[in-house]
Amino acid sequence: MTPEVFMLCVFAALLELDTTYAFQLTFSRGIIAAPLMSLITGDVMAGIQIGVFTELIFADVSPLGGILPPSAVVCSAVSLALNAMGIDLYFAFFFGVTGSILFSVAEKFMRKNRFKWLVFWERKILQKPNTVNRTVALALATSFLMNFILIFIFTWLCGKLMLTLLPYIPMKAHFACKFAYMAVPWIGLATLVPAFRLKAR
Amino acid sequence: MTFSMRMQLFLRSFFLQTGWNYMKYQNIGLTFVMLPFLKQAYKDDKDALPSVLQRYLENFNTQPVMASFCFGALARQEEAVAKAKSLTDFKEKVTEWTGIKRGLSITTASIGDRLFWGTLKPLTLLMALFIWLMLGVNFFEIELPANTPLLYAACAGGAAFFAFNAVALFVKWEGLKISYDARENTCFGLTRFDWNKTIYNAKRIGIVLAVGMILFGVYHYLKGFEDVDVHFVTRAAIVLFFVMISFVTRKLRIPNMYLYLAAVVIFNLVCYL
Repeated sequence: MTPEVFMLCVFAALLELDTTYAFQLTFSRGIIAAPLMSLITGDVMAGIQIGVFTELIFADVSPLGGILPPSAVVCSAVSLALNAMGIDLYFAFFFGVTGSILFSVAEKFMRKNRFKWLVFWERKILQKPNTVNRTVALALATSFLMNFILIFIFTWLCGKLMLTLLPYIPMKAHFACKFAYMAVPWIGLATLVPAFRLKAR
Repeated sequence: MTFSMRMQLFLRSFFLQTGWNYMKYQNIGLTFVMLPFLKQAYKDDKDALPSVLQRYLENFNTQPVMASFCFGALARQEEAVAKAKSLTDFKEKVTEWTGIKRGLSITTASIGDRLFWGTLKPLTLLMALFIWLMLGVNFFEIELPANTPLLYAACAGGAAFFAFNAVALFVKWEGLKISYDARENTCFGLTRFDWNKTIYNAKRIGIVLAVGMILFGVYHYLKGFEDVDVHFVTRAAIVLFFVMISFVTRKLRIPNMYLYLAAVVIFNLVCYL
């Protein structure tokens, strides 16, 4: 685990806050987050490609009514971090997508359990209204910390696993993963057409 | 509403979703956003603030950009609540306030989801993809060229970022003022914009760009071939297969990511058989 991968995880945890908890200025979109993160790893083209692929593969899941789409930041961060460790992009992207799905499961769990603290904080806010500022700051800090821990652990585990297995992975598996990776933009683009279908004026 | 108060609400609105939970959704965020206004409205009656905050700490959920319409309308109604002359008048005003909060949050969520997540986000994605392809960044190829200029990455990503946020920040900033100043027959200022027409036009542009992108992609993907050989046919078959299969999976409501993960497994199995 190099310092640049560690920095990437910190930066990704920060960007991930933009998805829901702060700003929502679209810094967390694949096409913006991945090129930004690639500045740390130094491979801008990999950043662009991962960003585009991430955004296309998750284009059909929107955060409507509490639905938690897989995180584009986590997918990009894991993919770019593994790539920076020397793992091929088509393997790294597979782990990125898996990581983002697992991250959304963990995030759902946290959201479900957060309301247990809510009663405590609501009581505090009612006693002293300014406590809401502290509540928001604390919620942001804990979200950042949880994001970092989850991204870091997953990247570290996948990196260790892949670096150990990589010499033993047969060429057939390389070929198969490359083939599936090649299909990603087409899968994504084909869903964009129905996404723009005109229902009503 | 003074400019400084509007600015405070605007800046605080970026933290509306902090503390999002499945029980009361954005209630902490709403309280955080409205706190400066409530302090001002109840500056002569600070003892009333806890009971006022109790109302704000109830359920609230809407689309974060369009939420500014709720803030303005709730602020206007809160002023009426604060100035209530009798208990009956107060109860009536609070009931109206609750109705506005519930009704407007649903309406704005519906518009915001369709406009921002359903239309503007994919539209700006397509815009970025076109810019990258125009600049010669061919992300369809696995073999990536080394030393891509940083400017190329910044151009398309920046264009998508500014295009999305120009609309989002405008709606956020103006929504506060419009809904606060709105007359009763304008649905809290929502009728000021023709949302349906905007979404319809954006979707019309989107569908043209999406089809154009597929054709542009096919051209980029296959342009390296001079003759129709086995590699050309294989590539064309992959494109066609995945375009067709993703139409089917969309009908079956299977997300793209599972199609990709399934493709990894299936291709591995095929390679070993």
